[in-house]
Amino acid sequence: MSPPRALDNIRVVDFSWVRAGPWATRWLGALGAEIIKIEWPETERGRLPSSTTPPGMDVNLNTSGNFNDTNVNKKSLTLNVRSAKGLEIVKRLIAISDIVIENFSSRVLQNWGLGYDELCRIKPDIVYVSMSGYGHTGRNHTYTTFGPVAQAASGLTHLSGLPDRPPAGWGWSYMDDTGGMYGAMCALTGLYHRNMTGKGQHIDQAQMISSVPLNGPSLLDFTVNGRGATRPGFPPGNRAHWPGTPLLHNYRGPIVAPHNAYRTAPGGYNDWCVIVCHTDDEWCRLVRAMGAPAWANAEKFATTEGRLAHQEELDAHLESWTMTLDKYAVTERCQAESVRAMPVQSAEDRVENDPQLRHRGMYQPLAHPALGTHKVQNAPFTLSETPVFNHRSSPLIGEHTRDIVEGLLGYSHDDLRAGYADGTFWPTKRPKFPYQEEMLA
Amino acid sequence: MSGPLHGLRVLELADEKGQFCGKLLGDLGADVIKIEPLGGEPCRLVGPFLNDVAHPDRSLSFWYYNTSKRGITLNLASEDGRALFRRLAATADVVLESFRPGYLESLGLGQETLRAENPALIVCSLTPFGQTGPWRDYESADLLHMAAGGEMASCGYDDIDTPIAPGGGNAWHMGCHYAYMAIMAALVYRTVSGVGQYIDTSIHEACALTTESAIANYVYRGEVLKRQTGRHHAVGPTVRTQFPAKDGKYVTALISGGLNPRNVKNLADLMGAYEMAGDLADPKYQDPATIAASTSHIVDGLLADFIASLPAEEVYHAAQARGFTWGAVRAPEDLPDDGHLQDRGFWKTVEHPELGRSFVYPGEAAIYNGTPWEISRRAPLIGEHNEDVYINVLGLSKAQVSELVAFGTI
Repeated sequence: MSPPRALDNIRVVDFSWVRAGPWATRWLGALGAEIIKIEWPETERGRLPSSTTPPGMDVNLNTSGNFNDTNVNKKSLTLNVRSAKGLEIVKRLIAISDIVIENFSSRVLQNWGLGYDELCRIKPDIVYVSMSGYGHTGRNHTYTTFGPVAQAASGLTHLSGLPDRPPAGWGWSYMDDTGGMYGAMCALTGLYHRNMTGKGQHIDQAQMISSVPLNGPSLLDFTVNGRGATRPGFPPGNRAHWPGTPLLHNYRGPIVAPHNAYRTAPGGYNDWCVIVCHTDDEWCRLVRAMGAPAWANAEKFATTEGRLAHQEELDAHLESWTMTLDKYAVTERCQAESVRAMPVQSAEDRVENDPQLRHRGMYQPLAHPALGTHKVQNAPFTLSETPVFNHRSSPLIGEHTRDIVEGLLGYSHDDLRAGYADGTFWPTKRPKFPYQEEMLA
Repeated sequence: MSGPLHGLRVLELADEKGQFCGKLLGDLGADVIKIEPLGGEPCRLVGPFLNDVAHPDRSLSFWYYNTSKRGITLNLASEDGRALFRRLAATADVVLESFRPGYLESLGLGQETLRAENPALIVCSLTPFGQTGPWRDYESADLLHMAAGGEMASCGYDDIDTPIAPGGGNAWHMGCHYAYMAIMAALVYRTVSGVGQYIDTSIHEACALTTESAIANYVYRGEVLKRQTGRHHAVGPTVRTQFPAKDGKYVTALISGGLNPRNVKNLADLMGAYEMAGDLADPKYQDPATIAASTSHIVDGLLADFIASLPAEEVYHAAQARGFTWGAVRAPEDLPDDGHLQDRGFWKTVEHPELGRSFVYPGEAAIYNGTPWEISRRAPLIGEHNEDVYINVLGLSKAQVSELVAFGTI
């Protein structure tokens, strides 16, 4: 018998699309919940447009690599929820489910006739997690977001970059990943509370709002000390402090030097490492790791204050050393002396070259019927009693429609065929994939 | 009404790596007891400080990450201290720890020992690289995780190749989000099985998971992405999306769906309302080929000039009102004025009775309509709840507590 999973027997009705919502339900699935993704090909967002289809493969609803990684552990039910019949079917599904999750704009589900009051009527202890851009209340609830906008409006973008330059921001939708995390966290918290008390609830999570608490210390510096973060030397790039500016705290640990990124051999685009010394002892160990070069014995570098005061010179010397080694060699030499150092790693580095991620089995091959076998990202934690793993690839669109409609909801095969004929399970004019034809045979 | 985690007891033995996870649990109603070494947790010395006076009870960073917790001191190096910890763990639902791998075990306080004494206990280790593997004993820092996790490789500028690590300590946030998720999953499982478990969470893996499509771009297409100023990493150069406004602040203005005839018409309407549309309303721009040939004129010319003519906040709200997914790049000091956050009751007033003052704190990531999020108290002073916990939780007498203080146990 296979070991139990943490969320065995939990069923999730998943209306989510694009990235943040699917990233949330991916994890509930990895923990063992049954995720039923409700999709409609005409309005689908997440499978298309695809910029991650393998070269030479036809770009269609089933060939996005990023969709696959974002939607492992789920089943797909195609259903026109905006038809009366489709709505009735989804209500039958909700009646036997534990969680409803979606990441539409604030009024969409309500306008479909599936607001929280109605969900409660169908399933009194339902846990409903809405993951909108700005939440279901407040004057800007109709505003829309994607990661970079939530990051900009919440203050996260301002934290990133070099002084006297535009914000570098975040080079990806950090708040799609992290908004997804909050969606999963809310669902699990609501589920725990329901199991303890028998009561469900509506949890109103919002991408822009969830970003703001990630700026805590800088916000308190303003609300308590009256100090804003629009000031010389902020943001300080990769440093803890920018030379020649007032010695203020910049919200990333202690104010120390060295604390920077340095080029390494052979000098390519991602050939960099970072080095940080929190104490004078750690600096002495770094000097040892470098082979005690003459410049490092200078009195001015012996203390944190001195290293901060001569940071440009210090960084230039350090880089003259790091340029003699590749980034992994710098890391190993420093860490052998218990000095903080790590390589800057690209995606290729993480998948191919990172010995720690390899040891931990971070990227595991998983077969997908259209894409073939590719590595998929695993959970960053293990649970001793209830294994966490990706048990199935992302679904082909509508792959599980028959299983769910007939097997789970108890409709007949004739009902299924009628639903395909009248546009409930697939648009009548849209060509079907071969597996859909087979399911109707 | 109380929070959804009301009734749960959490013992937190965590530094900068795990303190945010304890806050997430505490603000949702758990009874989080933070166990600090005798002089206080070193994070108390991380600035900024109240009025810039460095003191372990005045760190704003510590204040923020330790709301809704009780605080006790305990010397785990002493035998009496270890015995007290085992008694506390027997009363707890969750132990969250961020020590070096093997440290608690070396004290005889490993997860197996604790769980043998309390089978329903959930022990979560949250460490830089996890409990196994060639890097498990390596040193870490926020900057190191942003490098190794891939954040820096995705983030920077068009015109210089320096990778940039976004600030704010977000490597710790990423680890804490996943640790929270794992703890909650274990708690859900405990509601049906009655058994606890051990969780090994790796911050490195959490960070490596948080770069959106970068891994998929490599796995499916072999692509390594380039850094772009203020916008997504990409295989090659992309259209600029960040523009300075009249007040010197920036606006993130990405045209969702790209420059197509419909979006160009909407842009002309938005900019026309300020008489800044230039020739954009010209019917020639309803032809995709003309748009493609005029991208620089439209984006670097007309759009940039429009945004430069108005304050960033005005562009943000005017654009959103017309359906554009744009945002003003705000600094922290801009946020308390945001009406939407005010409408949602986001800002909380937290009493600091020892100072006779109260301060405004950021609030919840999500509104739990049935079980409210709440900051139940400000961060604890060093050993503030020693008597409360040792007497009321463990049943010691006042005299015994005094003795423990005298012996340097607490």
